[in-house]
Amino acid sequence: MELILEQVSISLGNAVLVQPFSLAIGAGETETLMGPSGSGKSSLLAFIAGDLPPPLRGQGRVRLGGRDLGPLLPETRRIGRLFQDDMLFPHLTVGENLLFGMARRARAERLSRMREALAAAGLEGFEARAPHTLSGGQRNRVALFRALLAGPEAILLDEPFASLDMDLRNSMRSFVFTHLKERRIPSLLVTHDLADAPAGGRVLTIDSGGLVAA
Amino acid sequence: MTTISRRRFLSLAATAPFARVSWGADWAAIEAEARGQTVYFNAWAGSEAVNAYIAWAGGVLAERFGITLNHVKIADAAEVVRRVRDEVKAGKLEGSVDLVWINGENFRIMKAERLLFGPFTEALPYYRYVDTDGKPTTLFDFAEGVEGLESPWGMAQLTFFGDGAKITAPPASMLELVDFSGSNPGRVTYPAPPDFHGTTFLKQMLVETIADRTVLSMAVDKDQFVAAAQPMFAMLDRLHPFLWRGGEQFPQSQAQMKQMLADGELLMALTFNPNEPANLVALGELPSSTIAWQHRDGTIGNTHFLAIPINAQAKAAAQVVANFLLSPEAQARKADLKVWGDPTVLALSKLSPSDAKLFGSKLAQGGVSEPAPAIPEPHASFVPLIEAAWLERYGA
Amino acid sequence: MKSSFPQAVGIGLVALLWVLPLAASLMAFTVAAFDLPAWSGLLHHPQLPKALLLSLWTGTAGLALAFAAAMLITMGIYGGARWQKLQVFTAAGLSIPHLAFAIGFGFLIMPSGFLGRLLAGGSEPPQWVTAQDPLGFALIACLALKETPFLIAMAWSVLAQGDVAPALRGQWRSARSLGHGAGSVWLRVLLPQILPRLQWPILLVWVYGTTVVDMALAIGPTQPPTLAVIVWTDLNHAAVDINGRGSAGAMLLTLMLAAIAALIFFGLPPAAKKMRDFMTAGPSRLRVPKTWAVFLTVAMIVIYGLVLVTLAAMSIAGQWPYPQFLPDTFRFAAWQNLYSNSGPAVLSLALALACSALALGLTVLWFEVVAARLDRALTIASVASLALPALAVASGQYRLFLDLNLTGTLSGLFLAHFTPVFAYVFIVLKGPYRAFDPRFRAVAHGLNAGALRFWLGVKAPLMKAALATAAAVGFSVSMVQFVPAQLIAAGRFSTLPMEAVTLASGGARALTAAYALTLAVLPALAFLLVQMLGRPRWSQAWS
Repeated sequence: MELILEQVSISLGNAVLVQPFSLAIGAGETETLMGPSGSGKSSLLAFIAGDLPPPLRGQGRVRLGGRDLGPLLPETRRIGRLFQDDMLFPHLTVGENLLFGMARRARAERLSRMREALAAAGLEGFEARAPHTLSGGQRNRVALFRALLAGPEAILLDEPFASLDMDLRNSMRSFVFTHLKERRIPSLLVTHDLADAPAGGRVLTIDSGGLVAA
Repeated sequence: MTTISRRRFLSLAATAPFARVSWGADWAAIEAEARGQTVYFNAWAGSEAVNAYIAWAGGVLAERFGITLNHVKIADAAEVVRRVRDEVKAGKLEGSVDLVWINGENFRIMKAERLLFGPFTEALPYYRYVDTDGKPTTLFDFAEGVEGLESPWGMAQLTFFGDGAKITAPPASMLELVDFSGSNPGRVTYPAPPDFHGTTFLKQMLVETIADRTVLSMAVDKDQFVAAAQPMFAMLDRLHPFLWRGGEQFPQSQAQMKQMLADGELLMALTFNPNEPANLVALGELPSSTIAWQHRDGTIGNTHFLAIPINAQAKAAAQVVANFLLSPEAQARKADLKVWGDPTVLALSKLSPSDAKLFGSKLAQGGVSEPAPAIPEPHASFVPLIEAAWLERYGA
Repeated sequence: MKSSFPQAVGIGLVALLWVLPLAASLMAFTVAAFDLPAWSGLLHHPQLPKALLLSLWTGTAGLALAFAAAMLITMGIYGGARWQKLQVFTAAGLSIPHLAFAIGFGFLIMPSGFLGRLLAGGSEPPQWVTAQDPLGFALIACLALKETPFLIAMAWSVLAQGDVAPALRGQWRSARSLGHGAGSVWLRVLLPQILPRLQWPILLVWVYGTTVVDMALAIGPTQPPTLAVIVWTDLNHAAVDINGRGSAGAMLLTLMLAAIAALIFFGLPPAAKKMRDFMTAGPSRLRVPKTWAVFLTVAMIVIYGLVLVTLAAMSIAGQWPYPQFLPDTFRFAAWQNLYSNSGPAVLSLALALACSALALGLTVLWFEVVAARLDRALTIASVASLALPALAVASGQYRLFLDLNLTGTLSGLFLAHFTPVFAYVFIVLKGPYRAFDPRFRAVAHGLNAGALRFWLGVKAPLMKAALATAAAVGFSVSMVQFVPAQLIAAGRFSTLPMEAVTLASGGARALTAAYALTLAVLPALAFLLVQMLGRPRWSQAWS
């Protein structure tokens, strides 16, 4: 599985926020995109995911595993997303949050997969807890597994570690990248902290003119 | 300054013939006490013509008698009954109502509950001109003795109206109305009781169908009523299938019927003011081809009155207002179709020729061309029985 | 933890200005309603069973349609470019008084109205059974159309709330990246979160629809009418025993509503299990029926526009015989009347401003200093005060004010307006206010901001949409108060609705329409102001 961007650009009216550029992210690879705030990094992720709000406009082609994502709705692109905030649904329990994106099949099977994920996240017994009773790190792990359980073919990470303290940040980074690598999911990370970038991945930068360079 | 006093002088001079007759010392004392008082006159305000007339009276009263007339606009006189009752119950002697426009059921209740000031009406100077012989309903309000507790103000008689361009032979009896409805299905109706006009329509039918009319002036019990009303309900059973919505739904009020007539949904409407159709023509709300008629053998008629609650604050001024509204000047203006068109309670024969001349007798467009006699209201005990029986038969 | 002194002050003020007068009114009403002959009279009323069923049916169906329409429109337009424009429509829709809408709508659909003239033609109106149909479909349509903007506005005040909106948008994107279609996100993520905050406004709409009198009189069934109309007729009567029957009827209707509400409340937990299963059943590609939402919105705007045009035409029509599309003659007497008699409009305006300001201040004070667990009691009292017929509550209040010598005074008149205004403002504001993220307070305290600076600098700006909507609702509620005001004013003061209702009793359609339009215009201005003030600056902050 490969995430391929071909001559992708973002503009607002006549102003070009991100100049056309191309990029291919292989299975299990994580590329990092850095740049000043307001440079259009988050808009680029929104364009890839399919929910760039007007009046922002994106152009170019996005392909995932041979599929052209252009005409697809966000929910059919199979692109998972992680944000700076965990975005857990406050009206659902931890377990229910994990079930939320899991494909429909026999209930018993879904429940056992959910519990496996809880165990993998080190959160056994947290199933019926409300998200706000968890610590920040715990919530971030739930958010990651919620995204993984939906079976994504790519993952976009928008400053996912920015709100964590230094210790947690380090453990969370390796936790996330290990899981992505294991599952051979291509991912694109937006950050302004070079330390976030995983070893071995390429680092791209956007300058104030919107030029993307490796 | 000078212009105002000059205008005031002229208007006083112009009205001099009926402004000052010597009424005696008692009345002079009342007028003296009334000067400077404010009268809160609670009167139904659903008509621009009525409101304008009351505003005119207020201007004259301020100028001539130093009384401030405040028209408290109400939608239903029952509101005033409840208000006065509550005030009296709460021991409030300075009531909020000084004068109320009233008749029928509301008067009966206020009288029975001793909520009225008086008797005062026969001491009003202009009362001597009231046509108590020719208009007996000035003494008996829905068969309830007036006993000086309310002062006659205007006359009412059940009247039908419609567009003469569409109605060539207006039905002049209930029997003819059934035939008329049969040939114009869905275009005739009446307001559902207990709306006052709806109940009157049923009373009219009772009067026209009852075997022995003498029963109507007496108190009846349920069994007597069932026997007496049997022909009325037989006729209603025949009439209803031809009515608007097949007689299964009815308008809520006369006001609604009037509007439905103007919109063309109905062929005819009814009113208690025989001059209302002519007034509506004069105001431009109905076409000039409008005609009004009454039933050949007469229709139900009554009188509306002014009463003073027992806890009124300005009783003297309220009497002066009631007296002024009874004057030939005020009554003639009220009877004028272009003003309001409410028929007078006075006997023109009792007036001086110059006063009588104020009442123009010309027939206006939309007026009743062949007035029929007024029939007194059936005894008050009929009303709840008619309403309950109607509801039982047609309401559910 | 709320400290006890401010809390006592808050409770005391609300008790003095609102709870005590209301409690005394309810007491008087309850005494009147527990009268044995009155109940016997009520139970022997031949129209009772059908009338009661009609009340429940019209109110419930009206709510169901309004809710469905409001949610469909909100779903279809939420977050899009039209989202802000929609608020202008809800403002206009909210501000038209119910009665005015019913009159205008009636003239659209009745056989001799616009539709009849357009579709049927001929020299005489068709004999359609449109307005005042026996099953109350016209009333239901009217209620649904009139309440939809209210429910949209309530949903908006939650969705646009400063601290909630960004979180909801983030959740929206998350849910879609997890494979859920927009429709599925609504049903599984957004609605379950906003519904708890809409429950009281929804209850209010239901209670209003089942007890409404003026609309039912104008456009509802007549034989039998709804129970509320029978109650109203009985309470209006001059005779004490018939008033008693009316009070018993009002009590029956209230008990019935309370019983049904309780049944739903206690029946909800079992249903909630099914709801949770539904929410976690996994992704569904369900989409939002955008076309339907846009169609519905356009249809509603067209109907509202036609109602306003109809009212305007009616206010200047002289003779307007069937089947002409325009009046034959025009009269401007109605507008002249209004213009020459502007005192009532000024008084109404002043009362509305004062009432909504005090109600907003008192409500905010309550939320700030009183513990949340006491909300429920006040909410139930608010809904109860709005569920009982205005005439029943007003006559109790009137007797109290008589003893206090408040009738015929400006302060009495103010309190009579204040009672319903406070109830509405409290219900409208409760959901958003209590949902405010408490972490902001902690953050502000950490930044050395005191309580007042926090409220003015952080909370009020974030809560702008909800505060402004509540104030505007309070304003428009005050503008249409009639029954209590009429009793308490004792003829010493006259407000715009008093003039309008008494004039309407004679069926003068032009005057009624002119006053109705004026009654609509003033609150409409209030709502438009709200849209300008309440628009969050971060509304475009999607990315």
